[in-house]
Amino acid sequence: MTDVTGGGAGGTHESWLVQIDAELDGELSLVERAALAKHLATCSHCAGARASQLEVRVALARSAGNPHAFVVPRPTIRAGTLALWVAVALGSGLLAGWLAYSRWGGPGGSLEDTRAAIVVQ
Amino acid sequence: MQLSSFSSALAAFAALFLGFFLPTTLLQGPGTRLTYRIRIMEPAATGPRMLASGSVSGSLDTEMRLTLRSDSAEIEALFQVAPVGDTVNLGAEFFTRRRVARSRRGLALWEQDTYRRLVRLTWSDTARVYPFGSPPRSSASRASWIELVLERDFTGGETRPAEEQLADSLHDFRLEAVVRPRRARVTLNLVRGDTVSGPRPMDLVREEPARLVQLVLGRRVTTLEVSLVRPAPARSVRDRVLALDADVVCLRVAPPDGSRPVGVLCGRLTNVARRLPLPTGDTLVATLAWPGPR
Repeated sequence: MTDVTGGGAGGTHESWLVQIDAELDGELSLVERAALAKHLATCSHCAGARASQLEVRVALARSAGNPHAFVVPRPTIRAGTLALWVAVALGSGLLAGWLAYSRWGGPGGSLEDTRAAIVVQ
Repeated sequence: MQLSSFSSALAAFAALFLGFFLPTTLLQGPGTRLTYRIRIMEPAATGPRMLASGSVSGSLDTEMRLTLRSDSAEIEALFQVAPVGDTVNLGAEFFTRRRVARSRRGLALWEQDTYRRLVRLTWSDTARVYPFGSPPRSSASRASWIELVLERDFTGGETRPAEEQLADSLHDFRLEAVVRPRRARVTLNLVRGDTVSGPRPMDLVREEPARLVQLVLGRRVTTLEVSLVRPAPARSVRDRVLALDADVVCLRVAPPDGSRPVGVLCGRLTNVARRLPLPTGDTLVATLAWPGPR
């Protein structure tokens, strides 16, 4: 068994990579798997390494003749890209609203503005 | 300061002169004819373009009802005047409906509004009415407006209301003269089965003391007390604002001893017969019509 406390929470990436390898081999206890999952949630480097390990294993399994082996594709939109798109959409919405308001006015306006006015020439 | 007090004194003297020395018949007498002259204008590249025109005239208490409709708005207004010396107070009651949205089921949603406007102008001045709100600030605006000129002529008692109207077919535009009748021509008959009394025509003045009328059916004489009374105020806001029931009068019928009335017949002055069953078993038939010109 691998020492989680020694190479776990306070350990280096190398020790976590060993843990990942052991986890994929099904050699970790429930407590160790929980500790690893907690670390993967906060460490994108280790999460990426685990995904790569999985991909390699799936590729090996396929080449060994297991047609049912597959891997969930990694998300192609990263958080930064998504944030950029959201910012662009918000900006263009605001710009379109401002242009529409200056062209046609607001949807309501005050009631008095819509009422008839009599001006003596 | 001195100039201000002098002009105030001058204004007070003018008011006294107008109030006491100028004969009121000269300004507002029965020989005066009031004319509302209307033009509906639209901005165009070469200058304002007239879409429609019309006029309403009559005695000084004639009012004008204006209706203007488009796909997204309906403007209805009742214009009234109150002459004050050489000036005139122009009042307008507006009833407007605007389409604001569509419901989830695709039906048009409208908002309606009622309000009053009052301006003072001199005779033959032009008042511009902007029916869709304040005057546009930019010249690129396509909002149309209404030009209204009030005129008065001294005519020899010819004050029957008249309407004239010219409009292109694209715009729903209507002008109506509104006159509240002071008198009404009432024709009474008494009916029982297939027997009818001779018609009894009379001119009644509103709010005048009741008049006794005798109707003979067969050999029996029936005496009734009739008077013309004001109808109850209209229930709907639109009817009240636009005076849609201006020509409705009510005939109060009571026994000659002045006790509780037998009934009240209300109707427009359209010469259509209205029936009132009497406690004697007879039916009183009354037609209400405009009186002949005097």
